[in-house]
Amino acid sequence: MTPGQAAPATPGMPTNVAERDIAGLLFVAEMYGVQLDQLAALLGVTEPRARGVTASWQRARYAESARLGPGPPWVWLSRAGLAACGLRSPATAPALSRLAHLRAVAAVRLALEATPGYRGAGAFWRSERRLRARMGGRVGLREHVPDGEVHWPDGAPVAWAGECWAVEAELTRKTVARTAAIMREILTRTGDYGCPAAQAREPGRPPRHDRVLYLCSPAARPTVARAREMAGALGARVETRDLPPGAALPGLPGAGLPGAGQSRAGQSRAGAPS
Amino acid sequence: MIRRYLGLLALLAVGRLLIRLAGLAVIAALAVAAAPVSLVAAYAATMAWLAGWPPRRLYRAALWCLPMVVVWLAATAVTTRSWRQVAAAPYLAWLAMWHGAAAGSVALAALTIAPAAIPLGLAAGGLAWAWRGYAMRTGTGGLSPGSAVSFDRRQWRHQARSARARIAAPGAVPLLSRGGDIVPGAVIRTVGHRASPAAAIPYRRLRSHQVVIGTTGTGKTTLLLRLWAGFCARGLQLYAAGAGHRPLLVVLDCKGGADSRRVADRARRVLRDAGARSTAVWPDEAALSLWALPPRQLITTLVDMIEHGTGGAAYYADVMEAVVALAVDAPAGPPASAADFLARLDPGWLAAVYAGDSADAALLRSASRHIADIALRFRTLFRRLGEGLDGPGGFGDADVWYCILEGTSEISVAETQARALVDLLASYAADGRGSQREILLAVDEFSAVSRRLPVWELYERARSLGLALQVSAQSWQGLATRDDDRYRIAATADGGIWLLRTPHPDAAAGLAGTRPVIDTSRRVRGVPRWSHEGSSRIRQAPVVDPAIIRSLDVGQAAYIYRGGVTYVQIKRLVAAPAAVAGQPVPGQPVTVTGAAAAGHASTPRPEPAAPPDAGQFLDEAFGAGPH
Repeated sequence: MTPGQAAPATPGMPTNVAERDIAGLLFVAEMYGVQLDQLAALLGVTEPRARGVTASWQRARYAESARLGPGPPWVWLSRAGLAACGLRSPATAPALSRLAHLRAVAAVRLALEATPGYRGAGAFWRSERRLRARMGGRVGLREHVPDGEVHWPDGAPVAWAGECWAVEAELTRKTVARTAAIMREILTRTGDYGCPAAQAREPGRPPRHDRVLYLCSPAARPTVARAREMAGALGARVETRDLPPGAALPGLPGAGLPGAGQSRAGQSRAGAPS
Repeated sequence: MIRRYLGLLALLAVGRLLIRLAGLAVIAALAVAAAPVSLVAAYAATMAWLAGWPPRRLYRAALWCLPMVVVWLAATAVTTRSWRQVAAAPYLAWLAMWHGAAAGSVALAALTIAPAAIPLGLAAGGLAWAWRGYAMRTGTGGLSPGSAVSFDRRQWRHQARSARARIAAPGAVPLLSRGGDIVPGAVIRTVGHRASPAAAIPYRRLRSHQVVIGTTGTGKTTLLLRLWAGFCARGLQLYAAGAGHRPLLVVLDCKGGADSRRVADRARRVLRDAGARSTAVWPDEAALSLWALPPRQLITTLVDMIEHGTGGAAYYADVMEAVVALAVDAPAGPPASAADFLARLDPGWLAAVYAGDSADAALLRSASRHIADIALRFRTLFRRLGEGLDGPGGFGDADVWYCILEGTSEISVAETQARALVDLLASYAADGRGSQREILLAVDEFSAVSRRLPVWELYERARSLGLALQVSAQSWQGLATRDDDRYRIAATADGGIWLLRTPHPDAAAGLAGTRPVIDTSRRVRGVPRWSHEGSSRIRQAPVVDPAIIRSLDVGQAAYIYRGGVTYVQIKRLVAAPAAVAGQPVPGQPVTVTGAAAAGHASTPRPEPAAPPDAGQFLDEAFGAGPH
């Protein structure tokens, strides 16, 4: 276990930061933290090579690494690393209770970004961390923040160009009422996150999210399906799919995910822009 | 001899009667001669009696007539071009008035004498009214000594009626005065305070400590909402002008239940009209993060949230503190949520984390057999507390936090929540962001949940952190559990004490002190006749009459400040109506948030057309067909 070390406030910028490093650092910063196998998939390298990359980030005091739970070590950015990525969030290790969820969301993002359609359209993943950073301390009401947003640029060569999707990774089974409430909240929201409370759901304005994409574990799938039925007409804008392979924490018994433990199946790719 | 003596007595009596009649005749002649002034004076005094006005109000009205007098004299000077004519203008007007009246031109006569008669009449009426009030207050007026009491009761009714009429007049009692003072309502009566039609409380007094005492149904909530709205409105004005920090109002409603939620909804709408951008209702709609506390404070708060016994249990408390400190101070950083914290209360995890630290590892070994029990206690605690303290959120996220603690139905939970909320607020106020806010902490019936955090400690912490504290209770006894604490709280309420109707006001009313009054005894000449001869003395009477407090009507309050009292008829703030809620989600409580709070009514919005099919793309990304 490597204890979290406080990084100096203004470390010197390494001179050998490659494009691959920038993409990796930004990905890790936005996702709170990633496991080494996912980082390897992101960078398109083997795990030993990814460990070396992580070590170089640690030497530059941009990142920290530790074995927080089952499976490969986790990598997260230090304060200096976050500042270099333009994020002012607190530099803390991923919370133990969120490890499984963080891994699932990272897997969803990797799966999306691995598709030619995503890369060809130049889509953009806006992470939960960026959404929360935008909210800052301004919004007091308990709002649900999606696990990410996918923004499809106008004019992209897809039918849904210009759309904004909310992405939700569902690992555990909530109550149907709670899931339906979240679904309705996302689909009826009109304002950006961090906007004044009065604009969050302004009558007469188009919804912020054109659709919401639910990636479910087998355990959560029936709940999401029933919540979608309860949403009525709004349910037409809900897409549900299984979580991608490798979304479960390696070594955990099941979680019922397809391909649990196949951490890199079909996800390796060269550093995708994020 | 006897006959002569009796004749002399009769002669003297007749002489006295004649002298008195002559005096009355002279007064009547003067009143008739100065008929316009007499009429205005009589009218003014009668109006003052009916409305319960103080004499000062008539004097002020007379002064406001001076421009009219100046214009009249100037016009006279311009037309006559003679200073003598100007000096003699009142006399000449008086003569012209009588000539006009004799000629039947009553309206012209009244118009001619009005510039001189109205101010003089108002001043004379004020003097007469002042004399009458003084005579009744000192006990020298009226047919009997009881006349003063009847006069006072009657005047109270008149004054209260005038105050009610004033608050009913649109725009007569704004939330803020032109000078930026907060106006809770119309003045009924003052003792030792300056009399004015509308009560005005400077903003800085709301930045000090205040105490509010009043039983249920007396208008306490109306008063509190008015004060809170005034605090927000004035604070935001100063903030916008760059003369102060942004205000933050934190309300701890320690009663709970449906009534608290109704008040919270009303507060949200009222305070939004006052400029508060967002009102967070905790724990129903918003959450705070206990895990945002600094690690040292977090350890203390977590340990204090668990009930400990005494004696042998102190050992267990020490073990718990050590384990909590190990979990919070782990090298990976403090926990981010209750689940994260509970996950750390695991011997295996702690052993792995502290494997390289021999001292902590030894401590962990000795405490390891208790860790499961400690985890169980915290798991139970967090289950009972719910999600309200598990974030995300902080006091900086909203302009107003309305925190509902179930102090009636779940006392132990409410006590724990109160302790945590105060710690969170203290931490927020102490750090850099909180010090940039002007914070008013309003606690209602805090004594119901003050077992973990004595109200006096809360008071001291608020003072040390620069928070303004407003303590409200239904009775004097509800302020604190001990009488010493009650007196300490009330005596240090340098922002003033508000008393509404309460059956035991003596202790709080006594804090206003006493004032000298003239007490006159009158000689009894036979029942039911009292002479006007007697003696007077100075005695000390209470500034606040507890009998008045006991008989206050709904919406009436006494504001005690610096040895004086102002009785106020509170003006109710009318909030914007609640928006029609959207389609409810089964199983979810219907709450007014967002657009509803903004005052927008939910209007049906056409659903957007079905989005283009992205199934093929999603299949490519996630491999499986749509469900």
